[in-house]
Amino acid sequence: MKRIKKEPGKKKESGRGISGIGEKLAKLFELPPDLFGNRPKVTAVGRGEVLIENFKGIMDFDEGMVRINTNNGVIRITGSGITIKEITSEAIIIGGKISNIDYDA
Amino acid sequence: MFLVHLWNYIRGYVIIIAKGGGIERFINICTRRQILLWDIVRKDSDSVILKASLRGFMLMRPAARKSGCRIHILKKCGLPFILRRFRRRRGFKVGLIFFAALIVFFTSMIWEIEIQGCSNEVAEKIMKVLDEQDIRRGSFKMGLNPKRIAADILMHVEDIAWAGVQIQGVKMTISVQNITPRPEVVDENAYSNLVAERDGLITGIEVLAGALKVKEGDTVKKGQLLVSGKLEAQNPEFGTKYVHALGRIMARTWYDVRVPLDYEYTKRVRTGRTHENTYIRILNLRIGLFGNRNAFEDYDSVSYDKTVNGPFNLELPIGLTVEKQYEVTEKKVRLSPEEAEALALEKARLALNRELSPDCRVLDERVNILRSKTGETYLELILECEEDIAGQQPLGGD
Repeated sequence: MKRIKKEPGKKKESGRGISGIGEKLAKLFELPPDLFGNRPKVTAVGRGEVLIENFKGIMDFDEGMVRINTNNGVIRITGSGITIKEITSEAIIIGGKISNIDYDA
Repeated sequence: MFLVHLWNYIRGYVIIIAKGGGIERFINICTRRQILLWDIVRKDSDSVILKASLRGFMLMRPAARKSGCRIHILKKCGLPFILRRFRRRRGFKVGLIFFAALIVFFTSMIWEIEIQGCSNEVAEKIMKVLDEQDIRRGSFKMGLNPKRIAADILMHVEDIAWAGVQIQGVKMTISVQNITPRPEVVDENAYSNLVAERDGLITGIEVLAGALKVKEGDTVKKGQLLVSGKLEAQNPEFGTKYVHALGRIMARTWYDVRVPLDYEYTKRVRTGRTHENTYIRILNLRIGLFGNRNAFEDYDSVSYDKTVNGPFNLELPIGLTVEKQYEVTEKKVRLSPEEAEALALEKARLALNRELSPDCRVLDERVNILRSKTGETYLELILECEEDIAGQQPLGGD
């Protein structure tokens, strides 16, 4: 039982393990948590703009919704008139009238 | 954000439509290859519209092939595309260079010289100094040293204590500080008498130093001793003492002048016909326009300048000069005795006013009409004045 349970989760756990050490270190030295690891940082300014740093790529994009792949799972942003204002390898800025930011969707 | 837009505009960008199934994949590949994309909008189910830089567009083709998208340029925006249009126009380029050269050329000149803080006479002297150095409107700023100019002005113009020269853009400002005149110093060791400077009847005496030789009511001749600087003691054994005589001797004086009466007078009358000449003025050059002429045999002319003002209150060295000519005829006019007298009186007053000393007070004025033996008529004007007639006369060595 134990073995079976451990096996499928192994791949996911390894990635999470490294960031976990970074998290612990950051906590220990009271450093800002976004300095370590590649966890996504989501900044929403008002309702019209969401900035996501440390993302992996976009998965779906249309007028009402955009799904973004990150190390912590998929972030889905829904709203109306969704556009990608800017996209680089480090950050993505999403514009439009935003109604939801969902994790693991 | 505005700066980013401006930068993109300068660098040039393209609006692209991408079609196909794997648009998300296409965007991801572009991102991974460091291609900046912005303003991505979903158009319909299988196409998006996006913007990319020129360099980005070049790198985009392999990414599109890999993801199975087709990309088309909808619009080319930005400065490079606008400039490309002018690439073949030679005249445009030449004009651009010529324009830049003109701006550099004209901004390297002095366009206006302003002199502040002094009277017109001093300003004129300063202008003369500048003129000698060939500094005027239209001379080049290069090689002008404000400190040297200021020093030159100080060297060549008296009655100024300080001069400063500033060149701001195309304007040269010269500020001047006037000298306060040195007070007159009376040297009390230079012994002197006071003598009469003109004939007169003494009305008031005020002696500060010296021995008075006249009294109120005396009539004195020009050159007569009024106050002596030589003080003699009543007892000859005490000897004499010399002083610098000081004082004011007020006296009544008379001035007179004779002016012949003239019953005929030539008057210049404007006939009412006028003619206008127009000149274009550039710096000190006058260029006559077509049709300028001296329209009349005898004319008075009045001219005025129309100047063009540039920005920042700058008076430009170009403008129009309009000269208006009025035709004039000379007419002999017969005057009545009263008119002739009035005219002669005016002349006489003018002549006397030139003679009067500035601190003289006119008390009375008398007018006589005289007839000479030869039959000519004269107008005599006599002014009775009161003034200080005392003048210094240095005492000789004894």
